[in-house]
Amino acid sequence: MILLSVVSCNDQDNIILTPVNKTTPYVIDIPFGFPTKLNIPSDNPMTVEGIKLGRYLFYDGRISGHSEPEKQMSCSTCHLQENAFECGIDNPQFAGGKTHGVTGIPTPHYMIPLFNQVWNYSGYLWNGSVSADNPDPMRRNIESMTYLAIIAPHEMNSDTLSTVNTIRNIEGYPELFKKAFGTSEVTIDRMGKAIAQFVRTFISANSRFDQYLRGETQLTPSELNGYVLFVTEEGADCFHCHGGGGNPLFTTNLFYNNAKDSVFDDPRDRFSVTGDPMNKGAYKAPSLRNIELTAPYMHDGRFKTLDEVIDFYSGGLVYSPYVDPLMHYIISGGTRLTPSEKADLKAFLLSLTDHEFVTNPALSGPEVMPQ
Amino acid sequence: MKNLVPIIIIAIFFTMLNSCKEKDNDPGNIRLTFEEKVDGELLQTDTLKYVNEAGNPYMINEVQYFISKFTLYFNDGEFYTVKDNMGMHYIDSDIPGTKSWDIPEDIPSGRVDSIVFVFGLDEADNQSNIFPNPPESNMFWPEELGGGYHYMKLNGKYQDTTGLLAPFNFHLGIGQTYDTTGQVTGFVQNYFKVSFPLIMMSSLLVDVKPGQTTELILTMNIDSWFATPHTWDFNYWGGMMMQNQAALQAACENGRDAFSIGAMYEL
Repeated sequence: MILLSVVSCNDQDNIILTPVNKTTPYVIDIPFGFPTKLNIPSDNPMTVEGIKLGRYLFYDGRISGHSEPEKQMSCSTCHLQENAFECGIDNPQFAGGKTHGVTGIPTPHYMIPLFNQVWNYSGYLWNGSVSADNPDPMRRNIESMTYLAIIAPHEMNSDTLSTVNTIRNIEGYPELFKKAFGTSEVTIDRMGKAIAQFVRTFISANSRFDQYLRGETQLTPSELNGYVLFVTEEGADCFHCHGGGGNPLFTTNLFYNNAKDSVFDDPRDRFSVTGDPMNKGAYKAPSLRNIELTAPYMHDGRFKTLDEVIDFYSGGLVYSPYVDPLMHYIISGGTRLTPSEKADLKAFLLSLTDHEFVTNPALSGPEVMPQ
Repeated sequence: MKNLVPIIIIAIFFTMLNSCKEKDNDPGNIRLTFEEKVDGELLQTDTLKYVNEAGNPYMINEVQYFISKFTLYFNDGEFYTVKDNMGMHYIDSDIPGTKSWDIPEDIPSGRVDSIVFVFGLDEADNQSNIFPNPPESNMFWPEELGGGYHYMKLNGKYQDTTGLLAPFNFHLGIGQTYDTTGQVTGFVQNYFKVSFPLIMMSSLLVDVKPGQTTELILTMNIDSWFATPHTWDFNYWGGMMMQNQAALQAACENGRDAFSIGAMYEL
């Protein structure tokens, strides 16, 4: 990609176009069946150089701006590749998968999947509060997340000046910024852009189920029966919110009250964003890809295992006037799956694990960080 | 000179005729605007204020549906079928941008005798994975149930006999036939054509005018889905229907008179 600046245009015959930066466009190959429309801001096109910088920053604890090693925190402190970029329920640093910031303040919610976000147009976080229509320009897209993580007391608990000064003074970084953005200037905006570019490469599209859809493998009878349950209204009816063959993101990225509670007092539910009473207790339906790796489940981590989740949808639904109408099984308390059906459904869900994604070296931490 | 008069008159006549013909051939444009009504009033979502013909109190939370093969039949025997977006349009009560369809095509001008469209997608159009992007992709209808896309998702709640608000998913699409063991033996196309024979409707004249945009207002009268010819009792049919061809058939028969149309002209 060549950006040109017009140095002189007084005389049309003597327009001088000076290359100010040369970067290499990064093109996302659309996986089979995936959406063709990508959520890439026009002011942050993806480049090889930008992604490379973003990868360093994503894994660099110095981005928190803290000099004490025990206070340093990076994106990867919580977003672990082996857990599909969640922290994992068995994380020794975050007991039970409950994350907290450098000062020990817990995050308001448990983690939500951080992959296939290049296809997400419906806002980020469980309540979608970081979205394109947010009047605050610092809370609109993935680019915003770096800034928000740095300043949040329940995350890095730092300030942007400390972060910029820290990164600027690491000898290897200014050159990486220059290659990515044309000059060596280090800014929070550029850091956010670079990390967002890297995060948009977190593409999970090669689970056994994907291979089955592409005709490359066969699922077991149990997995196939589980899939039929997943996509049938009289089965488990997961697909209306969580997709399936026709929506391989395995989420609509929309928000639902899925009948977990009858009292709603979370100040960060979807209602807190929209003000629409019908959104009380509603949260984004997370992608079910890699669900095996992303326990605990729900925004508050109340379910530790997939079995608990399946049991909940099968017979633990809680009635309230705010339940999403797609939860039509609310009247009978759940889908009432048999033990055999539950086992099949679980077998199908396990076929959504993408081992290639969680071991992809291009997404792993760099062996050597800038010094 | 006297002998020239008839020639001049004939020349003027043909000149006028020619210019009229050229004017007639100038295309116009069509904008389709979609609205939903219940009991003659614009839909108010999320409020339990409606009662259907069976006496069930109900609310509507959202409605999402496709129309396709929108066709104008002109009084000169010609017809025009919209091609934009493969001739298919998705309407979503939660997405304002879907509720107007500015058809980016030159439409032949003339008096329209009738308007016909397909509610949902017909067998030729309703192919799986033709819409990779949301929101349309969220309408996919599982392969196991016939594939393609929902014709419509009409979601709401009704007050059941115990007084609870019970959700209903009035979801229309391809139906299935089953054998006695519950295995699918075949599929049933439930889409239907909606026709407005304007020539029979003296109260509505629709013209595509050269260089102008004619706005057609297509109204879905939601209460009609629950009445005529079948009085729809939610307590009988329950909250789901995707695997119940009897319900799908009855619902689609009810839908044949669920639409009305109006027209507005560019000032």
